[in-house]
Amino acid sequence: MLTYSLLAGLLFGLYFSLVGLGLNLVFGVMRIVNLAHGDFLMLGAYCAFWLYTLFGVDPVFAIPVAFVLFGLVGLPLYYLLVPRLLAARDPEMLSIILFFGLSQVIEALATIAFGTSEQSIPGGDLGRALREGWGRLTGHEIESGPVEIFGQSFPSAWIISGVASLIAVALVYLYLYRTRTGYLTRAVMSRRDEALATGIDVNRVSAIAFGIGIALAAVGGVFAPFMLGSITPAMGVDSTVVSFAVIVMGSLGNPLGTVLGGLVYGVSYMLVQSYLSSWANLLPYLLLIAILLVRPSGLLGKRVRLA
Amino acid sequence: MSPDDILRIDGLTKIFFGFRALDGLSLHVSRGEILGLVGPNGSGKTTCINVVSGLYAPEDGSIRFDGAEVAGLAQHKLVHRGINRTFQVPKPFMQLSARENVEVAIAYGGARQGEVDAAALLGSLNLDAVANRPAAELNSAQQKMLDLARALATKPKLLLVDELAAGLNPAELDWVAAKLKEFARSGMSIIVVEHLMGFIEQVTDRVVVMNAGKEIFGGTLGEAVQDKQVVEVFLGGGHAH
Repeated sequence: MLTYSLLAGLLFGLYFSLVGLGLNLVFGVMRIVNLAHGDFLMLGAYCAFWLYTLFGVDPVFAIPVAFVLFGLVGLPLYYLLVPRLLAARDPEMLSIILFFGLSQVIEALATIAFGTSEQSIPGGDLGRALREGWGRLTGHEIESGPVEIFGQSFPSAWIISGVASLIAVALVYLYLYRTRTGYLTRAVMSRRDEALATGIDVNRVSAIAFGIGIALAAVGGVFAPFMLGSITPAMGVDSTVVSFAVIVMGSLGNPLGTVLGGLVYGVSYMLVQSYLSSWANLLPYLLLIAILLVRPSGLLGKRVRLA
Repeated sequence: MSPDDILRIDGLTKIFFGFRALDGLSLHVSRGEILGLVGPNGSGKTTCINVVSGLYAPEDGSIRFDGAEVAGLAQHKLVHRGINRTFQVPKPFMQLSARENVEVAIAYGGARQGEVDAAALLGSLNLDAVANRPAAELNSAQQKMLDLARALATKPKLLLVDELAAGLNPAELDWVAAKLKEFARSGMSIIVVEHLMGFIEQVTDRVVVMNAGKEIFGGTLGEAVQDKQVVEVFLGGGHAH
């Protein structure tokens, strides 16, 4: 039981890292709080659901679609909302109000469009096209059943979600530390005023980070039907709260600290699910309060908060 | 705009939540001139620097720089055109070394490749000994010099210096004053915002005295101290909103 909880916790932890990553990137670069983050995750989930339902698209292929689609949504949304926010006296507080409103609008529109019923995608269909392609190539069909790790069985969808999340985190790391725009992104995260004064186009860098943040939320949404069981338009709020718990634990403003926060959250979540399941829904709130009281700068502390 | 002017501001207005921080300010700066911007707290000096450097967009008025209208342009574009500034409180990239801070400004600030040498620039500002230390470990005077180095690394034609002298000892003040004059002799125009009148007297060719967001006097500092309105403003009772 303990081994299962720990391993499942790590898989969920990787997923939760992906869920919080975009939110932390946006906060780190712009110091604004995107309370609609979970709603973009929800829309990403519906993107995968409708691609699967209408066209039979394997949700794995919904990942690039969601990333590009929501990245492109994020760019104009940035220019529409964020520069005005940043010009305000208290952008952080104003962003909470503005994005809370946006969250409500998105949820209401999604409810009108998709209804309130829970929707899901069969777990075995995640990666089905890849398995079939591999089977045609090699003549050896890969089973869609549970995968065994250290004697414990896990749904293949969890493994795929965990691996995909790990790849997403690695790509964000490469973006931040191995690309010119990523270098500029870290400069803006470190000192926005200084970045402006060195001639960096801070608005462009921020818009790209905002687009990536929303795209990452949508990619997290693609795996939501498999990791969270089902999707509804109301799931956005819960996802936002989980994201906050994860990034506050890791280190607010440090995207890579999100991974640590996600893993701690994932393992805690599965341990509570296994041994105290009725408390599981309280976990994000309890962890948030505990971290804010004991170590408000996050587990990775102040030294890495500026990325 | 006279061909000798690198900057001409006309009717510049900046309003913060109903408060007119700049209220139709007009002034000009010639090429190679060091202009002192003085006035009591809240008179709009730093706001002027912030608007000219692109940190804030003005509500009204014109800023002509090097023959072109630049009011409202984004700060990074102004840096590329040749306007840069220092901050009252320096804000370097703390995790980066002094050298890396300057290298970022060289790379993205619009200077031509090879035009600025980071080591030479740091050396000219007495930062060579701390070039490889993180900016966070530098003392406040060194951080001020690093801030100046960052601005110089972008090869500005107009340098806006916001209270660079505050906190420096007399020897450092003399040295900074000599440096600013050296920059001006090379053709750079400089606006100095400063409360230390001795420093202003030492470095500036001319001063503009501001009050309530407007220019109330233009001339030498010696003439300014003879001006009745200037004296009233500095000694109290003349601050009109």
